[in-house]
Amino acid sequence: MRRAARAPWPYLLPSGLVLLAFAAYPLFVLFRMAFSDVGPTNLLRGWHFIGVENYTKVLSTVDFWRSLWLTVELTAALLVSSLGIAFMCASMLLRPVRSSRFVLALMAFVWAMPAIVSGSVWKFLFDSDGLINSWLSMVRLGPVDWLSSAELAIWSVAMVLAWAGLPFSIMVVRAAMLGVSPEILEAAAIDGAGFWRTQRSIIFPQLRPTLWILGVLTVIYAFKSFDFIFVLTKGGPGTSSSTLPVLAYFSAFSGFNWSNGATIAVLAMIVVAVVSVPYMRSVQKEAAE
Amino acid sequence: MKAHGTKAAEGLVKVVLSVLYLVPLAWIIINSLKSDSDVLTQPNAMIFVPSLQAYGVVLLGGLGAILTSLEIAVLVTGVILVVAVPAVYALASHVSPRWNRVVTILVTALLVLQLVPQPMTVIPLYSVLAAWGLLGSIPGLILADTALFLPFAIMLLRPFARSIPSAIYEAAEIDGASRWQVFVGITVPMLRNGMFIVFSFVFIGAWGEFVYAINFLTQGTAWPVSGILAQQISIYSVGWNRLMALAVITCLPLLIVFLFVQKRLVSGLSLGAVK
Repeated sequence: MRRAARAPWPYLLPSGLVLLAFAAYPLFVLFRMAFSDVGPTNLLRGWHFIGVENYTKVLSTVDFWRSLWLTVELTAALLVSSLGIAFMCASMLLRPVRSSRFVLALMAFVWAMPAIVSGSVWKFLFDSDGLINSWLSMVRLGPVDWLSSAELAIWSVAMVLAWAGLPFSIMVVRAAMLGVSPEILEAAAIDGAGFWRTQRSIIFPQLRPTLWILGVLTVIYAFKSFDFIFVLTKGGPGTSSSTLPVLAYFSAFSGFNWSNGATIAVLAMIVVAVVSVPYMRSVQKEAAE
Repeated sequence: MKAHGTKAAEGLVKVVLSVLYLVPLAWIIINSLKSDSDVLTQPNAMIFVPSLQAYGVVLLGGLGAILTSLEIAVLVTGVILVVAVPAVYALASHVSPRWNRVVTILVTALLVLQLVPQPMTVIPLYSVLAAWGLLGSIPGLILADTALFLPFAIMLLRPFARSIPSAIYEAAEIDGASRWQVFVGITVPMLRNGMFIVFSFVFIGAWGEFVYAINFLTQGTAWPVSGILAQQISIYSVGWNRLMALAVITCLPLLIVFLFVQKRLVSGLSLGAVK
């Protein structure tokens, strides 16, 4: 009995080692990089601590502020989609009929597809002589420079990200809607509440905690948005669709300005960390029950 | 009681969603079946003679890439299962109130790691792998991928370990079984379902991963399919039929898993919400 009461540390060792070496330590290196002068010539050794110089430098560039603004715009668009559109679609897919199940399965499949695949096909669809432009020119509206126009690129990216994220939001909202107790709905029906009245006065208030968490996840999704943008526009044209992670990546891997990249990454991560607090709380509460 | 308006709206939403999600899927398959000349001269044609030319080119020329993808996905999945199963056993055992607090802290740390965006780990990992002589090699990539998917895998497997009734463990302890015997004899067999789910998800994830692959493997060495798909786009402006054939191959593991465990896939993936 005494032996069984010992803490099972050895069982955590393999996972712990992998995560310490290849997840936690790199984060530490990222912070060190953001406070040092790492350029194209001294990636491996010879880093000098230079305090907050990288931060004053990055914060004084136009690129950073524009990138931050693009990320905010993208976040706003994704919030509309993952809360508003998802709420509407979920209520339309609520009844467990075959057509709902088909649409949900289709969307789940698309959502699980690797980003590289869905990103590639959208790049193809958005091509200057791609399918969408060929349809638009049939009604004399096109062609539109979906991905190669500096004004439009970020919104095309936003559309694809919304498209890719919508299935998840719908599944979450729908699951929460199914959890609303039927007695309340019956009572509302007896009181003569119609469809919209029920949505607004019964379902929406009941779903508020779920929507709150979904909103947090959406902000994190926007700040993580990298793979789709990499495939669709590589952050361009210029830096017109570079959200913060994209700007960080290309500062490091194309400009070889490792410190700048790391600094932008740290700044973006601060936003993710602040936004994550309510999400972490709710997950912990669930885990503790 | 339900108004006709609602029914019509329901139908409309379903049609719109089906079109939005079916067209891109169909477009991948349709174009992967076009010949080189067809895809060049009339890229938007719906009527054409199907051809397996693109698959021929991709399968013959890309056999090495497919094998690399397979090697990466199998090894990453294997390493993750080997290290994650004992970890969830430890995280699910109740030995003392102090241990419970340790578990809470560790789970929080895992959540934090899961929230770190990949483009932010790729920057320091590049320098870490270079310093350790692991850059440009498959083992380096596998370790990086393992660390990327491990927090998710542990979170996914943990509920399965927690659902093993403690009465079973108590009975084994009374019989005098050692902890290792309990782990091998009870925990591992009872986690079989969970391990299958983790295997499926991590395999799909590792098969489709490209950000680490294109940065940590040097150009010229055998790249996985996902990496070629990511890179070819910038190299060739045409050749969409081949790219779409590559896309189908990149989707293959998902397709297989989806046919078997669609329901569980959806509920499981929701756990890794911020994939």
